Amino acid sequence: MRLVKSLALFAGLGLSAAALLAGPASAQKRGGTLVQITQPEPPSLGSYISTANPVGQVASKIYDGLLEYDFNLKPLPSLAESWVVSEDGKTVTFKLRSGVKFHDGKPFTSADVQFTFMEVLKKVHPRGINTFSEVTAVDTPDPQTVVFRLNRPAPYMMAALSGYESPILPKHVFSQGDIRTHQNANTPIGTGPFKFVEWRRGEFVRLDRNADYWKPGKPYLDRIVVRFIGDTGTRAAALEKGEAHVAGFGAVPYNDVKKLEKLPNIRIETKGYEMLSPVVELMFNTKKPPFDNAKVRQAISYAIDRKFVIDNIWFGFGKPTNGPISSNFAPTGLYTADVTNYNVPDGVERANKLLDEAGFPRKADGTRFEITHDITPYGEEWRRFGEYTQQALAKIGIKASLRYEDVATWLKRIYTDYDYDVSSNHLFNLADPVLGVHRAFHSRFIRPGTVFVNGVRWSNPRADELMDRATIEPDAKKRAELYAEVQKIVVAEAPLAWTHEISFATVLDKRYRDVIVSPLGLFSSFDSAWRE
Amino acid sequence: MTKPFWFRFLTNLRVLFGLTWLALVIIGAIAAPLIAPLDPFAISGQPFVRPFDGFLFGTDSLGRSVWSGLVHGARTTLLIAVIATLVAVAFGGLIGALAGFYGGRIDNVLMRVTEFFQTIPSFIFAILLVAVLAPSATSVVIAIATVSWPPIARIVRGEVMSLRSREFVQAAITLGEGDFEILFRQVLPNALSPLIVTGSLLVATAILTESALSFLGLGAPNFMSWGFMIGAGRSFLRDAWWLVAIPGIAILLTVLSINLVGEGLNDALNPRLRTP
Repeated sequence: MRLVKSLALFAGLGLSAAALLAGPASAQKRGGTLVQITQPEPPSLGSYISTANPVGQVASKIYDGLLEYDFNLKPLPSLAESWVVSEDGKTVTFKLRSGVKFHDGKPFTSADVQFTFMEVLKKVHPRGINTFSEVTAVDTPDPQTVVFRLNRPAPYMMAALSGYESPILPKHVFSQGDIRTHQNANTPIGTGPFKFVEWRRGEFVRLDRNADYWKPGKPYLDRIVVRFIGDTGTRAAALEKGEAHVAGFGAVPYNDVKKLEKLPNIRIETKGYEMLSPVVELMFNTKKPPFDNAKVRQAISYAIDRKFVIDNIWFGFGKPTNGPISSNFAPTGLYTADVTNYNVPDGVERANKLLDEAGFPRKADGTRFEITHDITPYGEEWRRFGEYTQQALAKIGIKASLRYEDVATWLKRIYTDYDYDVSSNHLFNLADPVLGVHRAFHSRFIRPGTVFVNGVRWSNPRADELMDRATIEPDAKKRAELYAEVQKIVVAEAPLAWTHEISFATVLDKRYRDVIVSPLGLFSSFDSAWRE
Repeated sequence: MTKPFWFRFLTNLRVLFGLTWLALVIIGAIAAPLIAPLDPFAISGQPFVRPFDGFLFGTDSLGRSVWSGLVHGARTTLLIAVIATLVAVAFGGLIGALAGFYGGRIDNVLMRVTEFFQTIPSFIFAILLVAVLAPSATSVVIAIATVSWPPIARIVRGEVMSLRSREFVQAAITLGEGDFEILFRQVLPNALSPLIVTGSLLVATAILTESALSFLGLGAPNFMSWGFMIGAGRSFLRDAWWLVAIPGIAILLTVLSINLVGEGLNDALNPRLRTP
């Protein structure tokens, strides 16, 4: 057995890391109410069954996970005090914290962990089905110990044990009745720093301080009120006036963020999205001519002026890129910049040359061929991105007409019917490439009807093999080498053109401190947040 | 002596104002490629250039010329509104004429159908239709026509019913003219003036509906339109007022002009308002 992390070393690190990141440590005060704006209102609070963004923003305050993470994506203890991964990577043993109580007063034990993973996350969590597919059993030798038995090593699993991704549920509550329609989805009971009190539909969710929380002295806040405000302008005004104190994930449009930033009472935080890492991609229907030709795809990637897109469509909240893995993975070594660089000043000339070579010369009217570009129906930025793409393609002789449909129709067109030429999307990298990156181009993820997977239907045996090896490779250095080669191949072949990483921005009221202290940002528990 | 129709119509100051503005808009729409050679979607300069600073009306968030958008948008907006109105008038007129002329069971059935359409909130119905049909120029026309025809049908029905009992129509029936001949040669020409007035006002409503749909992002995606410009510029209201103000004023003036002209037509055509 190889000891990966030990209790003694890490017991206090979560707290001190938070304090360090917030600058000079000052005395945290108790009390105060934090008003968080979440947009839109969540459909439910069952984060064990829905990965919809607003659900996670609320439920992460109520449920703890086995682990927490620092900004380098390194695991920290939470409900699990320590853990050991066996030499062959197929057994993971967690020592659980003792004396932890659920909000209803019942003790937290290994049975709850076993129930959560085997009966809930493995079966109904949209990503858990994939993340924990190698887990064959969770043994509970005693109330404070759980042993995960794996079919094959799954190092990526260790990055998916936060309270947001894998919330630990009380077995005595959720084992009664059908988990899919459980009544406690909307009256959640967890071990987290805040207890659910009330949900007034269309208005707010109220969470009160859990006085029996297992972290001594925490949480500092008395209450969190999550408000739902439909109108963009009203949301910005509420933050401006100090009626609301935190909002992120584009709840405030980027151009308004720029304006709010200038106010004396507002601070803008771009940290806290490191475990999500959305990367914008242009999708090509690689089974359909002319996009079966790599040169055509490369030409389009060259034609996109990434700086223009970031500056004028995302108002500076982005970072140009070429590949599928976010630079947020640089600390773990999984990211490489050593790939084909499409972000060059003479991109248009290169694109024109490639299209000539590919056998699509300009006709008398200056065009080469016509396509339809499906605009991502996610709102204003995406619409402008679609309109920009149309103009960028016109420069290289591709005449694109735009099509705009509702989300459901668009998803069906791209991921079920494959009836498109070019579209765009952004997939979250999540905590590990296995969880967030493989799905976009591994041929195993060509699954008609499943959304946010390999809708470009690209398949490359070499890339598949490398990803399969990286999935079960426990050695970090070897994994990094495997992913470096994967990135080289997919960027050169360009089944998708990755243009930029989106930097979400969180708007914060300056009176509130230590709110964003983890790579999960708004998806973390806010147990260290306090009011001046 | 009664003054001729044209004289009464054109000496009305409000009508003159309306006609002048409409003429400008129509000329602009027809001559769009000449007076605004830049493609309205083309990124032609720096984003957020203020009006009169190299670009007549400035540029939007992507550096597209607002002047080009305005002129090419006039094309889209007018074309869609006029075609949708023509479709609505043709369809509504036919339904109304049949109902009014034949009466009885046919009238009953057609009017119940018309009422069915009238009970659905028209703008929500239009949104629904465009969303179901997927946004395109055709589906916007269909949506506007579908929500606009019922009032036309009711007006035409009323006119036809009252005309049907008039002596010249009875005479035509006695002379053995066919139904369609009577309807189209005797009845409808006499029902034309209320139809023209309602139709012209309907164009104004159609412009507003088209703009509202485009504002919500449900317009024809490959055509610049005024509503789209406002929708796209809305989030920059505080930094770039001209993105919303300029197309907004264009819609305001155009709809106002159509209403003034329509009212003028009503005044001139309505025998009860004629001054000897």
